[in-house]
Amino acid sequence: MSQPYIEDEFRNKLDLDLWKRIFRFALKHKRLLIPLTSSALLLSVVEAFFPFATKVAIEIVEQGRPVVEVWKPGAIYLMLATMLSVLVLIFIRCAGGISHHISHDIKRDCFKRLQELEFAFYDAQPTGWLISRLTADCDRLSRILAWGFLDLVWGVFYVLAMSAVMLAIHWKLALVVLSTIPPLIIISRFFQKRMLLTSRQIRKHNARITASYNEGIAGVKTTKTLGRETRALDEFKGMSSDMYGASVRRAMLGAIYLPLVMTIGSIGSGLALWYGGQGALNGAITLGTLVMFISFAGNFFFPINQIAMVLAEMQGAQAAGERVMGLLATYPKIKDSDNVKERLVTYEKQAREDPNLAPDGYPHIINEIEFRNIGFSYNEKETVLHDFNLTAKRGQTIALVGPSGGGKSTIVSLVSRFYEPTKGQLLINGVDYRNRSLDWLQGQLGIVLQTPHLFNGSITENIRYGRLEATDEEIVEAAKLVNAHEFIMKLDDGYETKIGEGGALLSTGEKQLVSFARALIANPQIFIMDEATSSIDTETEKLIQDGMRNVFEGRISFVIAHRLSTIRSADQILVVQKGVIEEQGTHEELLANRGHYYELYVNQFRRERVRAELEAS
Amino acid sequence: MNTQLHNSQGGATPAYRLIWNLIGNERLTYGIAALALFLATAFQFFVPLIGSATIDFVLTEQKADANPLLKYVIAIIGGPGLVKNHLWLPALGMLGFAIIGGAFSFIQKRRASIASDGICKRLKDQLYNHIQRMTNRYLDQSQTGDLLQRCTSDIETIRLFLAAHVVEIGRALILLVTVLPIMLIMNAWLTLASTFMIPFIVLFGYFYFKRVKKIFKEVDESEGRLTAVVQENITGIRVVRAFGRHDFEIRKFATPNQEYRDTSLRLTRLMSMFWAPSDMMNLTQIGIALVAGTYMALQGMTTIGTLFGFLALLNMVLWPVRMMGRILTDLGKTIVALNRINEILTEPIETEKDSVKIRPERPTSGRIAMRNVTFSHSESDTTVENINFAVEPGETLAILGPSGAGKSTLMHLLLRFYDCDSGEILLDGFDIRELERQYVREQFGVVLQEPFLYSRSIKENIRFGNQVAKESEIYEVARLASIHDTIARFSDGYDTEIGERGITLSGGQRQRVAISRALLSNPPILLLDDALSAVDNETESAIIDALKNRHGKQTTVVIAHRLSTLAHADKIIVMDKGRIIQTGTHDILTREEGLYKRLWDIQTSLEESFQEEAMKAS
Repeated sequence: MSQPYIEDEFRNKLDLDLWKRIFRFALKHKRLLIPLTSSALLLSVVEAFFPFATKVAIEIVEQGRPVVEVWKPGAIYLMLATMLSVLVLIFIRCAGGISHHISHDIKRDCFKRLQELEFAFYDAQPTGWLISRLTADCDRLSRILAWGFLDLVWGVFYVLAMSAVMLAIHWKLALVVLSTIPPLIIISRFFQKRMLLTSRQIRKHNARITASYNEGIAGVKTTKTLGRETRALDEFKGMSSDMYGASVRRAMLGAIYLPLVMTIGSIGSGLALWYGGQGALNGAITLGTLVMFISFAGNFFFPINQIAMVLAEMQGAQAAGERVMGLLATYPKIKDSDNVKERLVTYEKQAREDPNLAPDGYPHIINEIEFRNIGFSYNEKETVLHDFNLTAKRGQTIALVGPSGGGKSTIVSLVSRFYEPTKGQLLINGVDYRNRSLDWLQGQLGIVLQTPHLFNGSITENIRYGRLEATDEEIVEAAKLVNAHEFIMKLDDGYETKIGEGGALLSTGEKQLVSFARALIANPQIFIMDEATSSIDTETEKLIQDGMRNVFEGRISFVIAHRLSTIRSADQILVVQKGVIEEQGTHEELLANRGHYYELYVNQFRRERVRAELEAS
Repeated sequence: MNTQLHNSQGGATPAYRLIWNLIGNERLTYGIAALALFLATAFQFFVPLIGSATIDFVLTEQKADANPLLKYVIAIIGGPGLVKNHLWLPALGMLGFAIIGGAFSFIQKRRASIASDGICKRLKDQLYNHIQRMTNRYLDQSQTGDLLQRCTSDIETIRLFLAAHVVEIGRALILLVTVLPIMLIMNAWLTLASTFMIPFIVLFGYFYFKRVKKIFKEVDESEGRLTAVVQENITGIRVVRAFGRHDFEIRKFATPNQEYRDTSLRLTRLMSMFWAPSDMMNLTQIGIALVAGTYMALQGMTTIGTLFGFLALLNMVLWPVRMMGRILTDLGKTIVALNRINEILTEPIETEKDSVKIRPERPTSGRIAMRNVTFSHSESDTTVENINFAVEPGETLAILGPSGAGKSTLMHLLLRFYDCDSGEILLDGFDIRELERQYVREQFGVVLQEPFLYSRSIKENIRFGNQVAKESEIYEVARLASIHDTIARFSDGYDTEIGERGITLSGGQRQRVAISRALLSNPPILLLDDALSAVDNETESAIIDALKNRHGKQTTVVIAHRLSTLAHADKIIVMDKGRIIQTGTHDILTREEGLYKRLWDIQTSLEESFQEEAMKAS
């Protein structure tokens, strides 16, 4: 998968409060967190004791003890090795476990929140961006939470344990060796941060290269006609050079960093040898102690490196953390008011017994929808609808026509309460719909979108999406009603045919028929249809037209119409342009007006005829 | 630039050969890196040896004949006598050797990265270049997704191999060849005791990862399924909301989410079964060395210093060796990736015939002719048969016909996307197969049926027509294509980005930007393949008028079905099922029975039914 959205943020300051909030996800898995912490602690102690075995061995030789005593360092070593291996086993399982559990939990919560948020939220966020939030960000956070936590605990305690052992054995020599820690910390922090940033640059360049390959393959014909092959290659070379440069820079940072800290380690060992050697000559310390100190001096690098790496990664992932926590702190703005919630409780029982009563206590049947002085704008700058008025009665079909961007889609989104009007009121049977239950209203909707989105799965599954408890018979019945049955039966597996990602294996017309059946099976009181502009073959189109007539009966239907027959058969036609209704009336009235509608109609008339002619020949 | 993977004979190339060829010119750089690594290792090994020598000769005053290497080391830093009074000498020696070793290690890492990243860069460039120049015939057959996969994940596999694996393998090998002699000089038996487990450690890793290979794939796959569900949900979120199916979707998401978690957990458990035993094996190896060394020191067979040195060296060697098994398993993946990329690189690119290539000095006058042209071998294009027509410079030829008639195929043949099977296509009297392909394409400004725009700014997209065009010229062609005002209304104007990171243009807008691009190159011939289909009638007329009035008339070949466009043409051909069924001018065709006349009638007279309707209404 390409990653078009790679973030570059790097926070210099760690927001501890944020990390605390994120860490709460880990706290839910105490069963793993406790053994993880204890194994990290124990591990640091065990590792700090390894040089102790060497010390014992050397002292045996130094003091010329009997050969049988060789078992002592061997036994200590074996014990430590076994403990270490078991601890490794435990911490890998716990850290891995926590990481995957957290990842699962964060994703679950984010996904749930995304399902609740309204359209306005989605308008502002590109799809690809949201997908990376839900995948890459969550994975990264969970990894840092588990493994980063492990490394931090282990690193800090390893340093402390080694220091404690050394201080206990010979505090003066210990202080000499410990003096190398501060420069180690400074250098590690410096390099780890830069290495992380360069690694990100590499990833960014890599993403650009992927995008470039993508474009190169998809646009190969155009590139050839423009004769751009050489120039495109030059541009590509620019990108691959950037990546090369960043990769070499990253390697160079590593190439400086490692020798540098190793050198500091050898300074520590050298100091131990110099200072401790004198002690050994005086007999103040044993050779075993000296050897142990020399090994310790070389070991400090490992935990400090780990700590620096985790801190750098936390700085790098902080932005991801902010985004994920930000998403979880976003709540839907369109929801039931307190008043509605109260009504839902009050009428709960009554509504269950009386089919004519909606759960909020108002009548279930929708007789009339009224737009009263409605104004709407997505943002402060641009008003999409001005002072819009309309009354639609049960059984009526309202056709919305006019140029794209004129406000037609906004009107149907307002009916669906995907957005709420910024001015005026939308009344259902005379009651402002903000005083009605949102779930109930949306349960009364049947919607067919212009480019119908179908899900990967069978046709049955897709139609059933409209009403999950629909039986197979009901599905076939709905398909018959919208004229989809015939084409479905012609498919290889009939209703069980898998239609591919986004319904890719069906034509646009067929997709629309299926989505039509899907909308119908919910038996909605309000039907909303956005006719396809793209060409559908005449035959399928006729099927859709006939299907519409069957479906619209007894409901309130809003159609964003592009086809003559749809427009003609509507009860009211609204010509919507620049957010206002230019003309309103029946087909005959508007035609007689010889206004904007007349022009639109004539043009459309010709276009459809020409298309039919071209197809027929 | 010679990263050529394929051998000229073609056919399957053995794996080692592929890798050897891939490394190509960088063999020397890798050689230098290896040498530097060898020196770095040697110097870094000296650091603990100084400690050993000091312990043996200064601090314990061992019998000096025990270890010739240590004797040599102590001599370097000044001899036992001097060192005893100046213990800062070995300390300084340690530091000095660490620095020199570090310097060589720096050289090694830098060289290795220059070699690896350089190879990778050139391989990518080569692949990109190759794809751009492949024949259309191959591109028609191959799937975009598959090609892209090879360009990204296969390249990534190779990058990982070069950047990490080659270096790691080299490091482990050089460590072994450097350390073994040092150890052998110091003490042969202790060497045996300290290294005998290494082959087992490598083999354990190798077989372990070979066995669990499947689980890595499973994790990838379940991650893929999870991403697919997220993707589908978010792209279809409006449907989800329209049907109030959030709970259903949440349940639907739960399964792959749990599945991914559980597979990952399984992988974690398996990995813990690798790391814990391999840690145990490594530590056991060190433990055995410790016990054996202590025993031998007690018996007087070795010294404390040697033992100390051995333990330090072992720590340096054992940990990298542990990863060898895994790297060896991954080699298989690299070979597969190399083969897949090699497959692309051995595909033929658009080459010229061996006969003399003509590249006329001047642009064509715009005279085009097809004579008995027949073409049928293509996956994406319709067969055409026996096509004949001629267009004089400055004339407009319009092609009309139902979809699938072969109109676009004619365009593709003119552009030499394919060469015709029989007959000939002439440009100023030259057979275009005799002309340089690049020259032929330079003569045309093309707007394809579904125009492709690059994800860059609008200005850059138009400028692709002519890289040296002035801003004013860009505005001018945009005005001609009736898109200037639209662009000016965007908040970033001409600098508005198109595509993934920017705005999505409507079909009509895309077509008009593509027309601007084609006009900017000011080519002798303009090819418009249904280039105004998504533009509304009024705008189309405006564009057609603007083109007509343009100074210096171009030859224009246009596929269209609106009569407002067709009526202006000097010649019109009507096609059906790969053949020309009618030819003539507007005047002739409106008098002949046929498709053209029928369309003309529809568009000029309002049909009776409509007349009636309008009458009734008023």
